Amino acid sequence: MKQLRHILKIFILMLMLGVYGLASAQAPQLTIWTDDQRLPVITELAAMFTEEFGIDVVVEPVGTENTIDGLIRGVGTSEAADIYILPHDNIGRVVESGAAAPIDLGDKAEFFLPNALEAFTYNGELYGVPFAIENIGFFRNVELVPDAPTTWDEVAQVGSELVDSGLVEYAIALPDLAYNYFPVYTAFGGYIFAQDETGSYLADDVGMGSDGMIDGLAWADALIRDGYASENLDWEAAHVLFESGQAPFIMTGPWAVARFQSGEVPYEISAFPSATEDGEAGAPFIGVQGFMVNPDSENLLIAQTFLTEFIATEEAQQFIFDADPRPSAWLSIFEATEDEDMQGFAAAGENGQAMPAIPAMGFVWDAWGSAGLLTAQGELTPEEALTDAQSQIVTQIEESE
Amino acid sequence: MSIKEKNKATTNWIPLVIRWGGLAIFDVGLLWLIMQLVLDGAYPLATVLLLITVFVTLVFLVERFKAFRWMSVGIGLATLFVLYPVVYTIYLSTTNTGVGHILTPQQAIERLERVQYIPENGQRFSWTAFRADDENIALWLIDEEGETAFATVGNVDTSAVAGQDGIDELDEDGIPLNIDGYQRLETRDVLAQLDQFATINFGDPDVIIRISGLNSAATTQQRYRYDAEQNSITDLQTGTVYTAERGSFRSEDETLTPGFFINIGLENFERFFASSALRGPLVNIVTWNFSYAILSVVSSFALGLFIALLFDKLPGKKIIRTLLIVPYPIPALVSILIWRNLLNPDFGALVRLQETLFGFSPNWLTDPNATRLAIIIVNMWLSYPYFYIISSGALQALPSEILDAAAVDGANVWQKFSKITLPLLLRIVSPLLVASFAFNFNNFNLIYIFNEGNPPIAGTPIPAGHTDILISFVYKLAFTSALADYGLAAAISIVLFALVGIITWLQFNYTGIFEDKD
Repeated sequence: MKQLRHILKIFILMLMLGVYGLASAQAPQLTIWTDDQRLPVITELAAMFTEEFGIDVVVEPVGTENTIDGLIRGVGTSEAADIYILPHDNIGRVVESGAAAPIDLGDKAEFFLPNALEAFTYNGELYGVPFAIENIGFFRNVELVPDAPTTWDEVAQVGSELVDSGLVEYAIALPDLAYNYFPVYTAFGGYIFAQDETGSYLADDVGMGSDGMIDGLAWADALIRDGYASENLDWEAAHVLFESGQAPFIMTGPWAVARFQSGEVPYEISAFPSATEDGEAGAPFIGVQGFMVNPDSENLLIAQTFLTEFIATEEAQQFIFDADPRPSAWLSIFEATEDEDMQGFAAAGENGQAMPAIPAMGFVWDAWGSAGLLTAQGELTPEEALTDAQSQIVTQIEESE
Repeated sequence: MSIKEKNKATTNWIPLVIRWGGLAIFDVGLLWLIMQLVLDGAYPLATVLLLITVFVTLVFLVERFKAFRWMSVGIGLATLFVLYPVVYTIYLSTTNTGVGHILTPQQAIERLERVQYIPENGQRFSWTAFRADDENIALWLIDEEGETAFATVGNVDTSAVAGQDGIDELDEDGIPLNIDGYQRLETRDVLAQLDQFATINFGDPDVIIRISGLNSAATTQQRYRYDAEQNSITDLQTGTVYTAERGSFRSEDETLTPGFFINIGLENFERFFASSALRGPLVNIVTWNFSYAILSVVSSFALGLFIALLFDKLPGKKIIRTLLIVPYPIPALVSILIWRNLLNPDFGALVRLQETLFGFSPNWLTDPNATRLAIIIVNMWLSYPYFYIISSGALQALPSEILDAAAVDGANVWQKFSKITLPLLLRIVSPLLVASFAFNFNNFNLIYIFNEGNPPIAGTPIPAGHTDILISFVYKLAFTSALADYGLAAAISIVLFALVGIITWLQFNYTGIFEDKD
């Protein structure tokens, strides 16, 4: 028995030593979560930071959805990354959950595109340092349509004539009647959430069923009913239609450029048409990519330094731009671009609206998508479909409160 | 000491050392994990892990519990991965956990009390750190007007100038090259310790200066103060009072972030049963859910059995068998996506073929009934190989004497199949059919990947599709909306769990699978 007591003592001592050894402090280190696609760029960027500032950085490919999920579930713990990259429209849920720390850019703010910073502003505070902006553009097949149409009526007319003459199957390829169709809605005066004077979106003013939205949807409805557009809305199918020359127009984003470039159809990207000759051009949603900091980080200030002293420099921004050419959030790089596609996207996004980041936006997509499908299938008129969607969104916002 | 005793001693020591060593490693690992969990405030999980650790340690240390040794691993894992999640889900369903309500109230309060603000008469500085010989840190400050000051903990010397008090001359940025008794720190040295430095309160206790970034420091004050009696938070900058209500601190027109989670009893269940979700499309969804699961099982079993019977006696059946099983090892995800594209109304190969052959093709992705049919067909393709394999296996196991006797009595092929083969076969495979039903009842992948539950049902109070089953509908309800309401999702999954449990129990009872009938 005496022996057992000794053994127990040694045992406990070993345990304590082991626990101490495992738990003892280490040199500060930053972890960054990004997606697979950007992993190589961010890894190189991290190496540059380590060289300049002497802090080790680990980059992990986590992916956007898992990043949000991991951050929200990891709030209050040190499980999630110190720094992460997200599209701005997710900041609402991240900030509300307490997984984002404010950033003070000081006088460096003037180097950024104002609407890129605005997109990362929530409740009046800046929560991210943007590096790329993206929006959809208006693609046309220049072989079939040499000059960009200026009104949606013209688009319909040019497209329909091409269909009638047997050159194409459809007047326009429609990936959906929601996100990728937003410029038509806005051209006719539609909106999703009203904005207050500071540009913040208001969850209690839903515009889904507004006249502008209905007029916008009616444009596609007319084409579909006459057989000039497919009643089957499918992202992939729409892109195949355009790249095989079966539809002269498509509205889509930078992610489609690579496949169109490798295809045989010569294309050009331009600003969106307007409803009338002297009307405002259709406005796409703008998505902004940026770095954000986790307030649970044990190295919060070092992480913030990474953003404000390193990412917010022209060198880092240029490096990201060169490695992954998308319109930069850094003003001078954005303006200096000579790439035609990027200029096209920039022209299309000039009057773009930041995608609403308020959590209520989560209720919009499903209802909006359904309204588009029901209209396309001819089951409901645009007015019925959007009025239903409006009440679905309002109901869900009310029930969630 | 006799040889016998000596032998006994040596043979006993080695396994003992291995056992204690292994146990020590196991315990260290787990204790470390528990410590991390405690530090993160995850007390329930830490408690469960601690109980498991104590249990395993006791079992391996105390001879009396020897019998539990090999079971302890199983018990531990079952507790951790089955029992705990169930209990935790039940607990979660009584809270409002979700986006905006993740932290505990204490964590949220701590978070808010850490927020600093710069008062109106406050000052901002740029700073350079100096380390004293006694390891204390001091700051050389330059404010926005270019005035300099030297701050240590407890004191600010605004009259500090070059050439006095051991302060060396200034470099071009206005920072002394050297200060007697101090060593100037460079950015690289400072950065690694930035977060430690940020916890230091420099200057006068009345006007505290804190580091707020690599280049910035400021006279800051705590912004929010928690009042435990009122359970409210006061904004010391504006004087606004925020009271705790439904998991957030709210004033009349503002809500502070982050919020926290609170216990709300059975409200999630009430919300689910009273929600417009249930008043609307639920009948539609439940009907389709049942018919989908039943039709899937019956059709794939029928096809699998038919092929098994057909090729039972044919020559070259090995090759045929191999080919028939092909759909099985292909990941379902890939198969479903291929089917989706084959049935695409615009360029799907199968659609083109149908149009050439029959002159028309149903709209496989947009017509409600056609989509449902397509889903059943795809599911047949995905699961017939499984039933083919088990049917042909089971057919081998059937006693051939009975079939021979039936043949002698003059029974025809159909009679032999329906009166002998099928009943015997069903006894063997019915547990598998029930399991397959339960699986298909919640077969989220197929529904969601094939068409996301679309086409949508017109005029529902909240969005739902004609091919949505309960689980895909709930997923959309609780997760694709950006609010990620974990509490509600937990409540719904308990309801679903009960539903599937009851159905399965009824099926087992009804079919009498586990009863001895002989």
